[in-house]
Amino acid sequence: MSYVAASICLILAGGGAALTVSRRVRLGHALFRLLVGGGCLLGAGPAIAALIGLDMPDVRITTGVPGGPWVFGLDTLSGAFLLAIVTVGGACAFYGIPYLAGDAPRRAVHRAHALVALLVAALAVVVTARAVMPFLIAWEVMAVASYLLIVFEHERPAVRRAGMLYLVATHASTLALFALFAIWGREARDLTFAALTACAPTLPDGGAAVLALALVAFGLKAGIVPLHVWLPEAHAAAPSHVSALMSGVVIKMGIYGLIRVVAMLATPPAWWGWLVLALGVISGVLGVVWALAQHDIKRLLAFHSVENIGIILIGVGAGALGLAYGAPTVAVLGFAGATLHTVNHALFKSLLFLGAGSVIHATGTRDIDRLGGLGTRMPLTATAFLIGSAAIVGLPPLNGFVSEWLIYRSLLGSGISMSAIRIAVLATGALALIGALALACFAKVMGVVFLGRRRDATTHDAHEAPRGMTWPIVALAGVCMAIGALPALVVPAALRVGVLLSGGPAMPLTITGDPASAALTVYTLSVTTGLLAAWLLWNSPLGRRRMPATSETWGCGFARPTARMQYTSSSFAAPLVAAFRSVAGVHTHRSACAFETHAGDPVLDGFALPAWSRIRAVARWFHPLQRGTLSRSIIYVVAAVLVVLVYLVAAGRAA
Amino acid sequence: MSVAHATALAVLLIVAPALPGIATKTRAVLTGRRGAPVLQLYYDLGKLVRKGSVYSVTTTWVFRTGPVVLLGSLVAAALLLPLDGRDAPAGFSGDLVAFAGLLALGRFALVLAGLDTGSSFEGMGASREVTFSSFAEPALFLCFAALVLATGDASLSGMLGAPVRVAWSHAAASMSLVGLSLFVLLLAENSRVPIDDPATHLELTMIHEVIVLDHSGPDLALILYGSALKLALFGALIVGVFLPRADLAAPAATGVLVLGLALVGVAVGVVESVMARVRLTQVPALITGGAVLALFGIILLLR
Repeated sequence: MSYVAASICLILAGGGAALTVSRRVRLGHALFRLLVGGGCLLGAGPAIAALIGLDMPDVRITTGVPGGPWVFGLDTLSGAFLLAIVTVGGACAFYGIPYLAGDAPRRAVHRAHALVALLVAALAVVVTARAVMPFLIAWEVMAVASYLLIVFEHERPAVRRAGMLYLVATHASTLALFALFAIWGREARDLTFAALTACAPTLPDGGAAVLALALVAFGLKAGIVPLHVWLPEAHAAAPSHVSALMSGVVIKMGIYGLIRVVAMLATPPAWWGWLVLALGVISGVLGVVWALAQHDIKRLLAFHSVENIGIILIGVGAGALGLAYGAPTVAVLGFAGATLHTVNHALFKSLLFLGAGSVIHATGTRDIDRLGGLGTRMPLTATAFLIGSAAIVGLPPLNGFVSEWLIYRSLLGSGISMSAIRIAVLATGALALIGALALACFAKVMGVVFLGRRRDATTHDAHEAPRGMTWPIVALAGVCMAIGALPALVVPAALRVGVLLSGGPAMPLTITGDPASAALTVYTLSVTTGLLAAWLLWNSPLGRRRMPATSETWGCGFARPTARMQYTSSSFAAPLVAAFRSVAGVHTHRSACAFETHAGDPVLDGFALPAWSRIRAVARWFHPLQRGTLSRSIIYVVAAVLVVLVYLVAAGRAA
Repeated sequence: MSVAHATALAVLLIVAPALPGIATKTRAVLTGRRGAPVLQLYYDLGKLVRKGSVYSVTTTWVFRTGPVVLLGSLVAAALLLPLDGRDAPAGFSGDLVAFAGLLALGRFALVLAGLDTGSSFEGMGASREVTFSSFAEPALFLCFAALVLATGDASLSGMLGAPVRVAWSHAAASMSLVGLSLFVLLLAENSRVPIDDPATHLELTMIHEVIVLDHSGPDLALILYGSALKLALFGALIVGVFLPRADLAAPAATGVLVLGLALVGVAVGVVESVMARVRLTQVPALITGGAVLALFGIILLLR
């Protein structure tokens, strides 16, 4: 734990350095890189130690802190999330320096760097806190730092709107957390997680209220449909490395919270498992359908976060069902898959957002339909983006496949058992639909942005990103490939998390040996080697009798093909969007000579915004109460104090 | 990998290009023509390998990698099937996910190679391919889920191997429904009538053929052979469901596999002679119909 504390201090110091040494830019950046990089490296050590199963004692601070003892600890669950935080946090912090360099004359860039460091530190505290007080404080610091980073380009009205939406959502989430801990803490000795765990059996209805509130509070943060409305707006508004950090790890705190609550409650009721599974299916399918309809690369990636949160929830739901129906293998595999997918998604989603950032940096547009042929100009970014795309789709031999495989195994395992949990096997169909639609969507992004020819001459003359922006992306791609090629390295750690959640080591899946993951590793390695060998052989002189010739693309006899005749992202996705038109939220405007589609968010446009304007209409009735004059305010304060006094006296008499 | 495994795999790899030939021949005979020889695809492959490739100036390494990844992933997927009727050379719990994942990898590589040419025709084909497979993949998993429920085993070696005979004895209706559903998927995934017509000559109506419009020479040979192998893989799934052969000796089991594949080829040919292809916009409904068959099978098993 002391290493984690030192790591957090280093990261904060890095942020401080960026803030204070803002005059001498290069020195400030060097200090920032050194301190944040060092802090992230230092934090990875204890996280890995926790993941390989080392026991670390909790740290207790009892004196001088408000709200009872503050406890910090690191178990395998925290370790998995901490590792994701320091990896993605480090990559995004480094990427941010060259990415924002162009903004330096106009905006206070050093503040953004300091806020990124603060955000990473707050995230590290969230996953290691073992008491309500430090957890909530870190949660709020995280929320506010994210808000300030989202509104970095605050002169654009869309950005301010997205920031306000995020602020409302995140504070609704905090409010639900207050209610959750207030209900739970009523019976507890103090507000440490250990005390809450101890009094969990006394909660009424098996903790139904706590579990429902947890779904709202953490669901808002994670972006579960229909609570996701803030997510695409905020991710599209923030600078790309901030989007990467938010999509990669900040929204994962919602997943962390959900899993932590399950861990503390021991056995959730079956209805909660089914509810989470259903929410996962809904979020996954709708997220990817909405993503397919998008033209804006960052909004598209943001909707894919909703989709992947859905996949993770399917794993959590399967795990909870396994606990409720007493099917330990299903439970362990479900939670393990969910945790591993969380880490994997952190890796490849931040990769994709950083890649999108490089594209925006190079071309000056986020509109997919205006891009094209970037693969030849930005070869490194394009290759890394391709690896990230294949990983998020869940293709072997990459990391997304490994975690989805665990979740599939959990669902298929439920089919073998004899209880009502068998119905969960139907979710494999939903998971497959999500995967296939994601493949369609990333074929579209990869194909339209990086392959083919440049569509629009008005975009900047694209160039490869500076080295400070390519290597974080390439490093993340390397981690994705390593996890994908060697599942046996990570699956045992993920299973350890599953075992932690299903309470006790008496599991059919022993820690040391999951034979299937060893077999998968051997299989993946041989397939990958075979493919590489075949590729090399095929492209060597041995594989070809004759030298290949070059020519124009065959245009089926058309004499003058132009780049604008290529399939665009809209035309590519059109058949699928048409098939799902009832939920896709695409508005079409057509006239005699123009055709335009607008991909909105049906929940935001159809429900959240109308509801919001109703609330505002009601709030207007109370306008006369607030005149902004001092004398009135004083009267209100005095009246409030009087009411409280009367209540206290009355309550005292009643007792 | 034992000798029996290697033999069965080698037999599958060798007979695969005959399958489209059998289908075409059946169609020709039923429509009163003589038709191309059954072994036509072997001649085509031999001719293409000897030719040189032509690459568009627009294309990158993605285009050149696509065919290799397509064929490689299909061969890797073949390793997961219990071709000798007992177990697979590389089988593990949940290997059916890897099977589907490898098919998806091949599709991703092919679609990206198509988009790499910057041609609107290939973009069109790529768009149709990912659209229809978006419906086919959940259907495949529903078939797998039904087989898991029927056999109580979550690996391809189990659900297409020894437990299949027992599953037929207590869940014959579900097994037949799954087999039928797999046949619909075979037609969809391999671009046969009524989803796509491999004999069409108009680019605007093609699905599979139009993605590979710019591929030529040895690259095209890899893709054509890959298509035949994919047909054989789906055929092997169907044979695994309908013809449990774990009790036979290994050579006999492989023989039954070849016989079964030939029957599948004939069935495809019969379907092609008696049906017209449906409109492109109705293909999703057709595939969903196939998925519903598997879903009925699951419901019967969940009783």
